[in-house]
Amino acid sequence: MGGYLDGVLLDQVSKRYGRGPWVLRDLTLEVTGTVVLTGANGTGKSTLLKIAAGVLKPSSGRVVRPASVGYVPERFPSDVKMSASSYLAHMGRVRGAGANDVLERLGFVGSLSAPMSELSKGNAQKVALAQAFLATDLLVFDEPWTGLDPEAAAELCVMLEGRTALVSDHEGHLESATRVDLAGGHVTIELSRVVGLDALEALEGVQSVLSRGSSARVVVAPDRSDQVLAEALRLGCSVRSVR
Amino acid sequence: MFGAERAVISLVRYLAADVFRGQRFLAPLLVFLGVMGMLFSYDPGPQLSAYSGSSALIYPICAWLAVVVATSEDVVRREITVVSAGGWPRVLSAVAMTTVLFGLGVAVVATVWAVVASPRPYTFGEFLAGLGAHGVCALLGAGVGLLFARPVFTAIGRTVMAVFAVVVFTYPLGRWTPLGWVLDVLGHNQFSLAVLWAGVFGAVLVSGAVVLGVRRA
Repeated sequence: MGGYLDGVLLDQVSKRYGRGPWVLRDLTLEVTGTVVLTGANGTGKSTLLKIAAGVLKPSSGRVVRPASVGYVPERFPSDVKMSASSYLAHMGRVRGAGANDVLERLGFVGSLSAPMSELSKGNAQKVALAQAFLATDLLVFDEPWTGLDPEAAAELCVMLEGRTALVSDHEGHLESATRVDLAGGHVTIELSRVVGLDALEALEGVQSVLSRGSSARVVVAPDRSDQVLAEALRLGCSVRSVR
Repeated sequence: MFGAERAVISLVRYLAADVFRGQRFLAPLLVFLGVMGMLFSYDPGPQLSAYSGSSALIYPICAWLAVVVATSEDVVRREITVVSAGGWPRVLSAVAMTTVLFGLGVAVVATVWAVVASPRPYTFGEFLAGLGAHGVCALLGAGVGLLFARPVFTAIGRTVMAVFAVVVFTYPLGRWTPLGWVLDVLGHNQFSLAVLWAGVFGAVLVSGAVVLGVRRA
């Protein structure tokens, strides 16, 4: 699907793999400018990025993206026999795009004609970024600073300025960009041997309480989860899981 | 505007270059050349009958080549290619076209080999009939390989088992399969419309593999 100006729209997107648990539920996100995804491991950042880039289809929901998208995965493969120059030339032809100066700006060092399997992790990452910057509309990067030296990491921040990009980041780059915390929706606390259910329900930040026998599922805002957990323990409840 | 056709052609060039770089094509190619050498080490018989052995050989070789082409890129690099190309349909179409091109190359070699190695003279019509039969068997093999390769089956072990099983069970079924139609007419030193229909079946098989792959991706 294309044609959504120069950004990407994810509308009520949900995703699960096969019959497994839901990785994303009813997520709506509109990306114009640079948006940084944050969140703990396993919160669905990579899945969301793959859906935004067009690698994965959502289980439900709608995605509208522009025609030219650049994608950098979390880990660029290390066993590619093709040379960097050949790979970038082929990717350029596939896109109908000319060469760019990304490798020079990121300080690529090494042989462009050697197999990419012989490149260092940082240089391979620079090749991955160079192919993605061939895109003209939207950039989707999964942890793009991985393996980059400080100078290249700083230059990448400069290169992202003014671009429409959806980027996951654990390290606090792009401080001025809009941030979306994927774990920011809610925390689910599973309790057993529940006592004082009314007291829990009345706590600030509690969004819902579903009781079943002596067990209960409490959905709470992330910034109040510690207080709710402490109160549940003080009341004598057993905590089975927090996610 | 940069057309979808040019993107697919560029993808075919990229995939072919990647397959050559990866060298995994060498195993099926060496098996093909070795068995061809054995098949034509003595008088292989009448002109079209001589093509039946090489046609039967091309079918599994092209199924093998299809798996090589479809899995030449690892999963992550394939994801980048899909995004660069603008979606799975273009990439899987390019994978199918690359496989068929490799298959046709093998078909040309097999057809010329018989003309060169056989003591019997070949007419141009017999050469074209052999080329058509080999091409059809290549198409059938490519279809079987693509049908069970990534992204339809994501694990290479399942792909190999499924392709091996279908290929092995095709031969005993004889004239019940399109491959059997081709081998049957060649075995009788003839050429008929059955080969054409087998080619249509092969084209449908390859197209179906692309459609199924797009749905499963």
